[in-house]
Amino acid sequence: MLSRVADSLYWLGRNMERAENNSRVLSVQLIHILEASEGQLLDRNWEEVIEICASIQDYYDRYDRIDKETVTHYLATSPLNMNSFMNCMVYARENAKATRDIIPEGLWEVLNEFHLEQKDWQEQPATSQHIQHYLKKVMTTSMTAQGVVESSMSRDLPYTFLKVGKWLERGEKVSRVLNVFCEKNRKETESRTSSYYYWLTALQFTNGYDAYIKNHPPTMEPKHVLEFLIKEPAFPRSIRYCIDHVKEAIHRIEGGKVSHYSADLFDMIERIQEEIEEADIENMNMEQLMYFLDHFQNRCMTLSRMFSETYYLVEPVSVK
Amino acid sequence: MLKHYDTGLFYDEMMETGGTPKRHYRWFYELVEQFSGTELREKHDTAQLNFLRKGITFTVYNHTGGTERTMPFDFVPIIIPKPEWLKIEEGMKQRLNALNRFLDDVYHDQDIIKAGIVPRSLVEQNAYYYEQVKGLDVPLRNHVFLAGVDLIRDDEGQYRVLEDNLRNPSGMSYVFQNRYVMRQVYPELFFQHSIETLEHQLSELQQILISHVPLNADSTKTPTAVLLTPGMYNSAYYDHVFLAQQMGIELVEGRDLIVKDDVVYMKTIRGLKRVDIIYRRIDDDFLDPEAFRPDSALGVPGLLRAYKEGNVSIVNGIGNGVADDKAMYVYVPDMIRFYLDEEPIIPNVETYFLSDPERLEYVLEHLDELVVKNVGASGGYDMLIGPQSTEEERDLFRQKIIETPSQYIAQPTIKLSRAPAYQEGRFYPCHVDLRVFIMNGEEPHVLPGGLSRVALKEGSLVVNSSQGGGGKDTWILTEGGDSNA
Repeated sequence: MLSRVADSLYWLGRNMERAENNSRVLSVQLIHILEASEGQLLDRNWEEVIEICASIQDYYDRYDRIDKETVTHYLATSPLNMNSFMNCMVYARENAKATRDIIPEGLWEVLNEFHLEQKDWQEQPATSQHIQHYLKKVMTTSMTAQGVVESSMSRDLPYTFLKVGKWLERGEKVSRVLNVFCEKNRKETESRTSSYYYWLTALQFTNGYDAYIKNHPPTMEPKHVLEFLIKEPAFPRSIRYCIDHVKEAIHRIEGGKVSHYSADLFDMIERIQEEIEEADIENMNMEQLMYFLDHFQNRCMTLSRMFSETYYLVEPVSVK
Repeated sequence: MLKHYDTGLFYDEMMETGGTPKRHYRWFYELVEQFSGTELREKHDTAQLNFLRKGITFTVYNHTGGTERTMPFDFVPIIIPKPEWLKIEEGMKQRLNALNRFLDDVYHDQDIIKAGIVPRSLVEQNAYYYEQVKGLDVPLRNHVFLAGVDLIRDDEGQYRVLEDNLRNPSGMSYVFQNRYVMRQVYPELFFQHSIETLEHQLSELQQILISHVPLNADSTKTPTAVLLTPGMYNSAYYDHVFLAQQMGIELVEGRDLIVKDDVVYMKTIRGLKRVDIIYRRIDDDFLDPEAFRPDSALGVPGLLRAYKEGNVSIVNGIGNGVADDKAMYVYVPDMIRFYLDEEPIIPNVETYFLSDPERLEYVLEHLDELVVKNVGASGGYDMLIGPQSTEEERDLFRQKIIETPSQYIAQPTIKLSRAPAYQEGRFYPCHVDLRVFIMNGEEPHVLPGGLSRVALKEGSLVVNSSQGGGGKDTWILTEGGDSNA
């Protein structure tokens, strides 16, 4: 497989996952502000959402205010925000277009259809109803696309590159969400009710509420939530699950063998797995957890870079 | 539906002047009569949507950037009875043979120039003549792997060649997609007709492609072929995707290839992989910045060296443009006589060179009756259609022609044949042409049918998709004209 194609597939996986996850975060947030009374909702809440879905620095470079309309526009459709859902979906469609001869026809059609309908959406007024409808459309498009991938793609190289992108993106996103909530928890030592509310939100942001509540009815212990989203081996959105699956995918690329060129890559994955394994979530305080999560995000970046280098996804150094 | 259809003074593909269908359209006519107006409209919309959803689009560029557009599809097919098609097929093979011989000749011994048939200046001063490939023996001595020849019919119904496309003819994917959509949306129409299938055509294409084995290829292995595209922003990108996918070859961009020690490789996730055959859809000028335009970002440095060493095949050949421009077109009938000692089966459209002062004078006086074309342009650009032009347009062309007469040719305005088109709820006559695709390797093979293009703007003569043209399915009846199998 061409390196350029592999790179497009990897980013196709990432961009779809990013659009879906970010849509979910904004969607949950917009519902929460309906429930929250005036004054309860602080600028900080919006900052957290932006920090999860994009970059707060970038936001304040462009705007000097923070309110629902501006943030929604910035996160959903702003062409200037690299991580806006619209941009993620545009990139995903371009990734798909560049690999049309490789991916299932249905996958391309799902993304193309979104693109065609998006034009109509842009012309509609930005009412809450329309926004929620749009966010839902992003999520269902991503889920439909994943359904096409799972049901019709051969489990060979293109599939695997797509999945590596997806798992890495998901793992990183979960850790960003947790980071924001640990920070919040550290700063605000408020009542149990508000702590309950945070961790509920964290679970909703990561689409983990339903699965969590089955294991831990009906408590919302921070330690349990963290343990669940970091270490639960059976939950497909936990950090551990994502990393395990990155490893499995790369194993598939390598036919189960470790060659000299892929040895470093496997070492890195195994190190990350160990770090997750050894982390004693139960007994860590918020600072330690934040350190752990920051460290994990750095590891993900390193892993992503090593993966790209191993398979020449980035322009290789010229060989003389 | 077709009760008030007026064929006018033109040859109509489907209808007789009196309002009855031609024999080979009789079944089709009756089937269409059975559709209600609503059904026709719904089917029409479904068909257009199909192209949009699948993203079968081409990109139109203007000053504000590119827009993706679908080619409008018209469901009234062009039906060609077998005997007529066989003649076209023979004519196309003949023409391609002659053109291929011509290309080999002008880059080798130049017999046709020595014989005084084609002027030397027309060859060697042609912008598309590349000294770089002079004397090069290409695999199978074949310069044209895939050609698209545009045919029209005059008011007598006589087929004539309007244009040869020997560089990068596009549109083959539309032949297949038009048929696909037709079968999906109008299955009823197929029950009564027995038509040539398009299946196996792409495996034929693939076989022919990989028969272009370069001199130094490893003969123990199946050669590796790739399709080289300028990328997803190219107007014909869908065509590239479709062909690569259907032939099962990699779709590569210039940046995916690298030349080392005069051997071409593609960059894969497992390192470099040798490439033997390149079906390129990039123009000559952009192929190799070392040999042609140095500013080309689409090409591959060193490609020409690898080609000249016999380490890679490039199809269509480099320098084919010398044979398919509008000036050389005039000489194709002579090429057929010279190389094959045969008379052309499908004639040209009469064409005047404007470098001839007498002709020039005549043309300048009759601009309102003639079609004037820039010999170097294509896609319907820089041309004047006399009878439909305004005084200002004619003045502009008069100036352009006087400035560089050799840059232009003139042709009588042919009463291009028409066929019914169904758009916006009614049938009306539109001008059509037919792009026939010819694959060539050991021997030529003609794709049955081809891409029928239609000028959907009423009265327009321009069928190019970039200028509002649409497409139609083309049926070759496998049996006689009144088949009902």
